[in-house]
Parts: sequence; structure tokens; C-alpha cells
Amino acid sequence: MKAEKLYENDDHAWIVFGRDEDKPDLIIDTNQYMVTSKNNAMLMDPGGIELFSAMLSAVIKEVPAQKITHLFASHQDPDIISSLGLWDLALTNATLHAPWLWEGFIRHFGMQNIKYDGIPDEGGRLMLDDVGLEFIPAHYLHSSGNHNVYDPKAKILMSGDIGAALEEPGGSLFVENFDEHVGKMKMFHQRWMPSNRAKNDWVRRVRELDIEMMCPQHGRIFRGKDVKRFLDWFESLEVGLTKGKF
Amino acid sequence: MSEVSSNYFVAAATIAAKLDYATKVAQRLSLTASNARALTLRAGQSAAGFRPLTDAIHRLSDITVSSSKKINAIAAVLSSMAVEKYRADSALAYFDAVYLQAEGSKYIGSLSDVYERTKVKQKELMVQYQKKIQQLTQELEAVEGELRSAVVLKVLCQIEASQAGLAYQDALNNVAENVESIAETIKEQIVFSRQQVAILQ
Repeated sequence: MKAEKLYENDDHAWIVFGRDEDKPDLIIDTNQYMVTSKNNAMLMDPGGIELFSAMLSAVIKEVPAQKITHLFASHQDPDIISSLGLWDLALTNATLHAPWLWEGFIRHFGMQNIKYDGIPDEGGRLMLDDVGLEFIPAHYLHSSGNHNVYDPKAKILMSGDIGAALEEPGGSLFVENFDEHVGKMKMFHQRWMPSNRAKNDWVRRVRELDIEMMCPQHGRIFRGKDVKRFLDWFESLEVGLTKGKF
Repeated sequence: MSEVSSNYFVAAATIAAKLDYATKVAQRLSLTASNARALTLRAGQSAAGFRPLTDAIHRLSDITVSSSKKINAIAAVLSSMAVEKYRADSALAYFDAVYLQAEGSKYIGSLSDVYERTKVKQKELMVQYQKKIQQLTQELEAVEGELRSAVVLKVLCQIEASQAGLAYQDALNNVAENVESIAETIKEQIVFSRQQVAILQ
């Protein structure tokens, strides 16, 4: 599992984990993110059971296990949070922030020790020591209860499945040629995102944020002008399609 | 008969299911006893010898129903403990993999507490689990012992039926057959469950 620091200043850092070379072939590749502050750390979309050992191994190279006091799940899918039952045994004092809508479902992954903090539909805010993080609503993109995480200081948006791409193993962590990258994103967004109305509302709100990096859960990270390129492309894309027929 | 499961938490769930079925079958025994009592009342003096036997069928039914329910409850707890144990075993296997993959990592020591805690939990679960298995074995043996009396009960019922008036002989023989057949069905569930217990240990 590769780990790369995306941002670092005096009070906090962002790290991405991904491109696991030992990942079983038939499971979708995922990016996991972690924000670390002075005394705490939050893992975002920590991944599925299959990745747990690789993820925990990578994480404890960066921070002690006890420092992980928060988890975030953008939604309820297995590639997002099916490792919860194992994190539940590994973490002594953690809270999971996830959409309120999915609490009864996510608890099926096994949750006896970790506390569930349901994020309301309108979003919310979390202070990680002195670092303010915002939960941005992204409902129906693709899950009906779905949030992104925005860090105004680092200017990073963890966008979950928005901006995701399906590509061959070993690809770069960053978008290098946006036009070429579009081909790897199109089907994902048209098929998994059901609502043009929800999509356009999200684009409108996200355009108001100051974003340097947009970090999806699959595929590559958008930097600088590619963030605006993505928003323009996504706004003009018709979603809710099956092979362009419905 | 179903195939014996080789997975311990499936085995525990299977025992719970078998005993749930045994409880329902044992309730049929109670119905048989009630029918037999009504029959002896109608037969009057000609089936007087049968009357005490209906009490014995009722007693067997009560014991079997209550034991089956008790065993079913133990098996349900065992099933849940088996899943807990599986989670702890599985977590330790994942942690072992982390120790290999992250050998020499700066914060590898931060896992020690978690590992020890999970290990302690696994041991505690194991002790409770073994106690429950012992309890389950004793209960299964006890109900199996009670069911042996069903064979004697059947023979006694047949003897008394042969001495009853002709009009009631077939019906009373039918009661005798029912007692044996129901007891045999329950016994099958018990024998199968005892085989499954071997997997749990």
C-alpha cells in the first residue's frame, strides 16, 4: 500500500493511501485518506475487509493506532466501510461520522466499541484539535445519503465517489491529462450517479469552495485547474444512464 | 439426515435450528397425550389400564419440550459466542499480518495493547464457550436418556391397547405408534446435534 502526503503545515496533514500492489484482482481499487492533527487523526473511507491489514500496516507507519480517534464513511458501500468490524477491535476510542441515514445498515458490519455520530442531511462540522473540517452534502452522488469532507485551510475536498475513475493498476495518483482521464470517469458517473438535479446542485455549491485538490475514493486526484475542469465536465454530463439507453 | 457441518459457528447455529425443530415435534407429543386421554375417557372401563400411561406421555412431552427449549437457548448463545470468537480469531490473524507487513514501522508498538486486549478477549470467550459446550452436552445426554423411556412406553401402550375393547384397540395402538415415531424424530435431532457438538470442541 502506497502512502503519500498531500498537504502538511504546522497543525495538520493529509495523507492518501492507495495503489495496493497486493490487492486481490477482482476487487475495485480504492483510495483511503487520513487527516492528522496534533493529538488526533481521522481515517476517511477506510475501505473493505480485504484491505484491512494493508491499511493498518500503512497507517501505523504514520501515526500510532491510539491516535485514530475518528473515522468517516461517505456512505454505506462495502468498499467504503466493510472493514469496520475489524477497526472496531483495533481502535480503543473512536467515533464514526457517517450519514444518519445509514446507521442501521452500517452497524451490520460490526460495531460494538466505536461510537456512531450520524451526520445530518444538511452536513456538519468537526474540529480535529484546531483543524475545522466540514461535511458537505453530496446526496445521490451516488448514495442517497452521502457526504464529502472539505478542509478550508488545506483547500482539499475529499469527494468520495465523485470524480472516481476506473483504470488499470499502477496508475499515477494524480490526473496528468484531464482529457485522457475523462474516458475513465464517464461510465462510472453516468451509471452510478442517478440524479442530474442532485449533481447540478452539488456542482453549484462546490464551485463556491476554494479547492486546490479534489480527492476521490477511486482513481486519481485532481489538482489546481483540473478541479474546475472536472466541475465543468461533470455539470455538462448527463447521468442516470445505462449504456446511454435510459 | 443433514450433512454434519465442518464450521464451528455454522455447527452452533445448526444445533439451535435442530432443537427448535425438536421443540415443535415434542409439542406434537403433548397433543398425542391429550388425544389419548380423551380416548380413554370415551372407552371408560375397557381402557382403564391406559389412563396412567397418558400421564406418562404427558410427562415425557413436558420434559422434552422444556429440555429442547433449554438446549435451543444454549445453542443460540453458543452460536452468537462462536461468531464473536470467529471475529476475535479473525482480527488476531489480521493483526499478525500487520506485524509481518509493518515490521520495523515507527508505531508498530502502538498495536501491542490492542493485540493483547483482543487476545485476552479471545481467551475469555474460549473459556465461556467451553463451559457452554459442557452444559449443552449434559442437556443433550439428559434428554436422550428421557427419550429411551419412549420405547418402554410404546410397549406398555400396546399391551394395554390389546386389553381394551375392540372398538378402541386401533386408536390406542395408533397412540403407541405416535409416541414411538415422535420420540424417534426428536432423538434424530439430538443425535445429529451431538455430532455437531464434536465440531464445536
